[in-house]
Amino acid sequence: MTEISAPSAAAAVPTDDGYHRESRWYPYALIAPTMLTLAVVALVPFLYMGWISLHEARYGQVGAFAGLENFRKLLSDARFWNSMSVSALFVVIAVPIEFMLGLIGALVLSQKIRFRSVLIPFLFIPSMMAPIIVGLVWKTMLAGSWGFFSYNILERFGILEGASVFASPDLALYGLIFVDIWEWTPFMVLTFFAGMQALPANPFWAAQVDGANPVQIFFRLTLPMLAPLLVVIGLIRTIDAFKVYDTIYILTNGGPGITTESLSVLGYKYTFDFWEIGTASALAVVIWLVFFVFCNVFYQIAKRRLNVF
Amino acid sequence: MHKSRANSLIFTTLSIAYAALILFPVFWMWSYAFKSESEMFARPTVWLFTPTFEHFGYMIENGYHHYLVNSLIVSGASTALVVLIGTPAAYAFARYRDMKFRDDLFLFVLATRMAPPVCLVIPYYLIYAKFDLLDTYLGLVIAYLTFNLSFYVWVLSSFCRDLPLELEEAARVEGYSRAQAFVKVLLPLLRPGITATAVLCFIFAWNEFMYAFLLGGQTVKTLPVGIPSLITTQGVRWGEMAIIGMVGTLPVMVVVFFLQKHIVRGLTMGAVKG
Repeated sequence: MTEISAPSAAAAVPTDDGYHRESRWYPYALIAPTMLTLAVVALVPFLYMGWISLHEARYGQVGAFAGLENFRKLLSDARFWNSMSVSALFVVIAVPIEFMLGLIGALVLSQKIRFRSVLIPFLFIPSMMAPIIVGLVWKTMLAGSWGFFSYNILERFGILEGASVFASPDLALYGLIFVDIWEWTPFMVLTFFAGMQALPANPFWAAQVDGANPVQIFFRLTLPMLAPLLVVIGLIRTIDAFKVYDTIYILTNGGPGITTESLSVLGYKYTFDFWEIGTASALAVVIWLVFFVFCNVFYQIAKRRLNVF
Repeated sequence: MHKSRANSLIFTTLSIAYAALILFPVFWMWSYAFKSESEMFARPTVWLFTPTFEHFGYMIENGYHHYLVNSLIVSGASTALVVLIGTPAAYAFARYRDMKFRDDLFLFVLATRMAPPVCLVIPYYLIYAKFDLLDTYLGLVIAYLTFNLSFYVWVLSSFCRDLPLELEEAARVEGYSRAQAFVKVLLPLLRPGITATAVLCFIFAWNEFMYAFLLGGQTVKTLPVGIPSLITTQGVRWGEMAIIGMVGTLPVMVVVFFLQKHIVRGLTMGAVKG
């Protein structure tokens, strides 16, 4: 195709007037199917849920207007605060560990290593697998007396004998955190690795010429240049870790007792075990508000600092 | 020079050990599909065994192959729908960055992606009960639009930003309308991006558990839903669960080898190009 300079292209575009009229509506016509679909499948259910949260609702029957009664009930429920702290603890422990291991892994991966292109696809597997299957993998590995991991490692080193980690009130949450770390660290490694590969090479050459050592280069160059990316990935992972459900469902379903009952698990139980639809909706509204704040921060940083959206 | 070769050896060993740590549990779980109960529960661990196919027999007898078919139908249908609806929008969000409310609308798309399924499944359950959509393919396909359509638009939009603007302008000069320029010039260039994003959508639908579990009911059960159904009052059917785990992971294995470059971009919502 022949190269055409910008001014001549602009001049050749048919009738200026029609062009502008067209340009105002054309983009909206393109996004209309998506926006309408999302309005129906996401916005309507969301508003409906908000409406339910202001009404008495049990067993699928929506009753009289109740004001903020559901929210009052929710906030005075010790189980809600328990699930808040379970979810918070889960995120606060799992995400930073995944983050640090991810950085270390990415640094190792960017060294001169052999078979790198063969190894990389395997690292994608845990984060691309169904979370429920990840749960199943660790259900078998940590299944008490005969699980491969519990028999050969936990029992051999006297950490835990004859019982599953997930049956212990003290250890169950840490077991789930371990599974999450196994599942998501490789993703962090690969993302940070991709980010490092995309950094411009010039500053690194300059630093080497000036005699900077690897530690200085990492802290003064790599880390600052990667910072926006690190924040964005940290946020995505935080959001995902907050809503984790499938692995918890298959491994503990909130037990023993309520020691691993995260917000998602509690929301599920309010709805489908206790049929407290009103309280469940109030919980969902609270969760959603928190998420919206996270999303907004993610978007602002990604847009301004990464310039990819 | 000598030192750097030693370093390379250490780092290579570390990387291989890590890959093994990731793969071993997965393959160990797969091995249960071919083990008899006594081999599964043996202490100490049994390494060598003669494979048995009794678990596969149980799966067929109890109609679990329908779960596989359901998974294929629901994931395939929802992916096709997403590509059809979402492609123009992804292009518009990337190309017309100064349209009014663009940022707000784009953020709304992101928010539907990030929304926890537990929040949506409650209203969905009530609405579906009213409109008889529980236990139908259509119901699941609609529910999957929430996370897949928003994902597709966001990630494909990042692919669209890589398209050269000059090409479109050149096509316009040749007398193409905007729509023609998009369909005839840009769409072919975008095909790898569309394929990669669509395949990821397929995998997300394939992996989805909560909607399928709660809205799929009795007839539209997908593979992930089969896993808890094997935890019965008579005990846990480990071998059968392992078969689902294996069949459910196979497409993922294929995808990671063919799409590795695009997965990073996909899983970071386009933030990292990969």
